Amino acid sequence: MITLQTFFEEARAGRLTGIRCQRCAELAIPPKEFCPSCHQRAWELVPLAGHGTISSFTVIRVPPRGRAPEAPYAVAVVRLAEGVSLLGRIVDIPVDELRIGLPVKFRPLVNEDQTVVGFGPA
Amino acid sequence: MRRVAVIGVGVTPFGKHDRSSGELFAEAAAEALADADLSPGAVQALYYGNVVGGEAERQLHMGPQAASILGIPWVPTTRFETACATSHAAFRHAVMEVASGVSDVVLVGGAERVLNLPTDEATEYFAYASDATFEQPAGLTFPGVFALIARALMAKDGTTEEQMAHVAVKNHRHGALNPKAQFRKEITLEEVLASPKIADPLKLYDCCPFTDGGAAVVVVTEELARRSRRPVWVLASAAASDSMCLHDKKDLTRALATERAAQSAYRQAGLASEDVDVVELHDCFTIAEILATEGLGFFEPGAGGIAAEKGWTTLGGKLPVNPSGGLKAKGHPIGATGAAQIAEIVTQLRGEAGLRQVEGARVGLVHTLGGNTATVLVSLFGLE
Repeated sequence: MITLQTFFEEARAGRLTGIRCQRCAELAIPPKEFCPSCHQRAWELVPLAGHGTISSFTVIRVPPRGRAPEAPYAVAVVRLAEGVSLLGRIVDIPVDELRIGLPVKFRPLVNEDQTVVGFGPA
Repeated sequence: MRRVAVIGVGVTPFGKHDRSSGELFAEAAAEALADADLSPGAVQALYYGNVVGGEAERQLHMGPQAASILGIPWVPTTRFETACATSHAAFRHAVMEVASGVSDVVLVGGAERVLNLPTDEATEYFAYASDATFEQPAGLTFPGVFALIARALMAKDGTTEEQMAHVAVKNHRHGALNPKAQFRKEITLEEVLASPKIADPLKLYDCCPFTDGGAAVVVVTEELARRSRRPVWVLASAAASDSMCLHDKKDLTRALATERAAQSAYRQAGLASEDVDVVELHDCFTIAEILATEGLGFFEPGAGGIAAEKGWTTLGGKLPVNPSGGLKAKGHPIGATGAAQIAEIVTQLRGEAGLRQVEGARVGLVHTLGGNTATVLVSLFGLE
């Protein structure tokens, strides 16, 4: 089974991993113990290609402590081609070009020991 | 299960205070006990709410801390934390304790103190109520959470920034009538629309403020309520949850936990949304009020923004929403908010709300939302 640690270790290497319920075919972002749809515990790992489109986005202009040098920056919910959503930071796309439906591609953002989900131009 | 009533309410002025959250709660609790005509010795349990005290005040174990400051250190206490729905969750459990026969008198409420912190530090602590693995590392803030919801809703059903601005204008107009509100100042549509962006499309006046304050209510049995001068009955108290991560929610434009909690509360009370005369709901951001009025069944999906624009939710409108000024103008001390909303509805049903009174209100609803729409409490109150 995939843990948060292994999900982000894989993500750091550029590989996104989803989980699919072998009973009801629900696709989810880990970690999940039981399938929230059918309550079975029969996940299989599914590689996610990282291609998707923006389903919503915002530009953060008043950031939390320590992030002032990064602001303004955009965060988006991205609908991946496989049919599951993933939240991440937008990189290398000017904020005034962002729109719902814009194609984007996953890329890991590595900051010392932390890996963050990022999305850049498709 | 036994019937349960609220016989006392107390709220501190909301705004900046130079006192700890425990002291703020004690002030509200003293007012609630006086209102209930009960001595502190009558309290059999304290259900206490606080959210960021561990970070902001370096204080955990806040139940006994609050009870000790109040002067009842011997009562059993439990601290609740469900983000911004905290003291409404505490209230639901207090109702269950009295309804089940375990206690006859339970004091419930909460307090928060954050205005002594810099904005960026408070913003960080509030963000702890979003997911720590995907959302916080991406730099998402709470205005950001509701901005993502707002943009999805705007794209889906045509909700506009102007409709959201109408919510802010209305709640400031109400707040100007509330002596305990943080902002007692009317604002214009133009001021809202021209205010600085916080998290696009949300602007400064779409957002509730950081607030210090406390609130408390006294929950008792039917027998004690019958001896009280003006009890307000708890007709229902329901909770529901939804996925923690925004990306796990099936539809960003629906408040599923609000819908589930509302259906459960209406069923418990044997009432429908049309029976509600006055509402206090969770307008942490203007879009949250629009979404809640739809999820609670007052308006069709997509019509919440129209209702705000047409003035249906203003004092004197067909369904007054947030006569207190709401979180937007009254203020949002997150651990106290649910209890403060309940205090407002009790005050309204008693007919004691002064200039902001909803005339003839007999059934009131309180809706409190926690975190990224993952926790919702809905309670119904009535005069019978």
